[in-house]
Amino acid sequence: MSEEKREVEIKIRELGVTFRDNSGNDVQALTGVNLEIYKGEFIALLGPSGCGKTTLLRSVADLQQPTTGDIHIQGQTPKEIRLQQKFGFVFQQPVLLDWRKVKKNIELPMEIMGYSKEERSKRADEMLEMVGLKEFANHYPRQLSGGMQQRANIARAFSLDPYVLLMDEPFSALDEFTKEKLYEDLLKAWRATNKTILFVTHNIQEAVFLSDRVCVLSPHPGRLSAVVDIDLPRPRTLEVKDTPHFTELVTKVRNSFEGGSV
Amino acid sequence: MKSKAFSQKILKILPAIVWTIILVGAWEIGATVVANHKRTPENILPHLYQIIAAIFSIKKVANGMTATQIVLTSAQATLLRALLGFALGALLGFVFALIMKMSGVVEKLIFPYLMLIQLIPVLGLAPIVLSITGDINKSRVLIAAILSFYPVATNTLAGFKSVEKEKYDLMYIYAAKKWMLYSKVLIPASIPYFFTGLKIAAPMAVTASILVDTLQGDGGLGCMLSQSLKHAMSIYVFWLIVLFSAFVGVFSGKVMGWLEMLVSPWKRTVNAKKKK
Ligand SMILES: Nc1ncnc2c1ncn2[C@@H]1O[C@H](COP(=O)(O)OP(=O)(O)O)[C@@H](O)[C@H]1O
Ligand SMILES: [Mg+2]
Repeated sequence: MSEEKREVEIKIRELGVTFRDNSGNDVQALTGVNLEIYKGEFIALLGPSGCGKTTLLRSVADLQQPTTGDIHIQGQTPKEIRLQQKFGFVFQQPVLLDWRKVKKNIELPMEIMGYSKEERSKRADEMLEMVGLKEFANHYPRQLSGGMQQRANIARAFSLDPYVLLMDEPFSALDEFTKEKLYEDLLKAWRATNKTILFVTHNIQEAVFLSDRVCVLSPHPGRLSAVVDIDLPRPRTLEVKDTPHFTELVTKVRNSFEGGSV
Repeated sequence: MKSKAFSQKILKILPAIVWTIILVGAWEIGATVVANHKRTPENILPHLYQIIAAIFSIKKVANGMTATQIVLTSAQATLLRALLGFALGALLGFVFALIMKMSGVVEKLIFPYLMLIQLIPVLGLAPIVLSITGDINKSRVLIAAILSFYPVATNTLAGFKSVEKEKYDLMYIYAAKKWMLYSKVLIPASIPYFFTGLKIAAPMAVTASILVDTLQGDGGLGCMLSQSLKHAMSIYVFWLIVLFSAFVGVFSGKVMGWLEMLVSPWKRTVNAKKKK
């Protein structure tokens, strides 16, 4: 990775988000977050629950207004990027529309964008191929397993050729076998498309295995407490998890949580 | 595996069978008791076979028509009015639910009062509607519509509200226009709830139609019902109407279920999967 000429894609400056809870108290979900994310980078946002990971992701996606600071993506505001439909978002739950077949679900963002029918169909087929769901194009979501539903969710997020892919604990509800398969598929899709990915997780191994950099968040108040470079070689396969360097990095990330281990 | 599926099927219809046996048994015991104690038992509780025989009887009961002919002829008028009222009520119910969803103010203004409609008994409502419209046939349709309206409106609104926040977020991320949110997410999501409303409303529209018929005489099941009770014709006309109304009420709900399967193929697949 040649540091000199890497292009910054997302610039987060002094980001703070404060919520008012039901009893009228202010909750600082995030405070003073500064981060520059490069184009095509795979970033993991790691932290225990309640440390503001989702809030950070939602702020980038224009789903949440920052209380302080600002975010720029290719020099534009999140809202401007959103209005160009340049975000792909993968929720923790698949959020598929039950009454649409898998392929039609993947076409949804393209329908909103006003793509032609042929174009939608062609692109959806490519996406189905990419996530290995080709044979299930004409199934309804409820006929699929959780893992397959999540694949469809990912295919939909990739379908509009977004600048940035935002993923909020996409695999946390899946079993270990399905997860490992999806890791490889996600990395393959990422390599093929060269998207910038922000991947939220509370799983240290997952963060280290997938990402170029792990951004460690700590709670009360939510803040960015460390950024750990992951210099494992790419392309990565699951065997990398058995190397001593992987273990070292996991330990390093674990120790970077403020107040020691979690 | 196959025998397991079979026994599960049996288990599913078993309650229906048991209930049928209990009801038929109770009816027949009652009919036998009545037959032993009363002079004209068929006026109070005839045997089931007598009713069934009446369906196929070719004896002319009144106006040169058999009992079955009378029932079917008068049913035409009643069911047509019920259907018209039902369609009108369902349509208005859906539209109102949509308006309430789109405007929180309208919901707060209207929703609490919707329940009042439900609280007025049909027979209390009928004279009011009649005095407003001044036409018995219009009132009949209107009352079926009013009764259908409430379950459809409330269930459809519940359907709109059942849509999770993530679905809104999804549409927001892709900068979908408001009408797209409605046409692609909210309205399709409300359809199963809409049908729940229809399934409740359909038998109610039928019942209301028959009840309101009795108010004024000019054909219709309800009219025949009161006439037959006054012994203007064979008492079996009465029993046939009772049987027929019960059947139509249940059947109308079933038809809504079939209609739903027709318009929601995804429900079909889910049900098929569950059955396995
Ligand atoms: N809409 C909201 N209103 C009030 N408090 C919120 C809201 N969203 C998040 N919070 C609070 O902000 C903090 C961070 O939440 P979140 O970003 O969801 O954390 P994470 O995704 O890391 O689990 C939590 O304390 C949570 O209760
Ligand atoms: Mg979260």
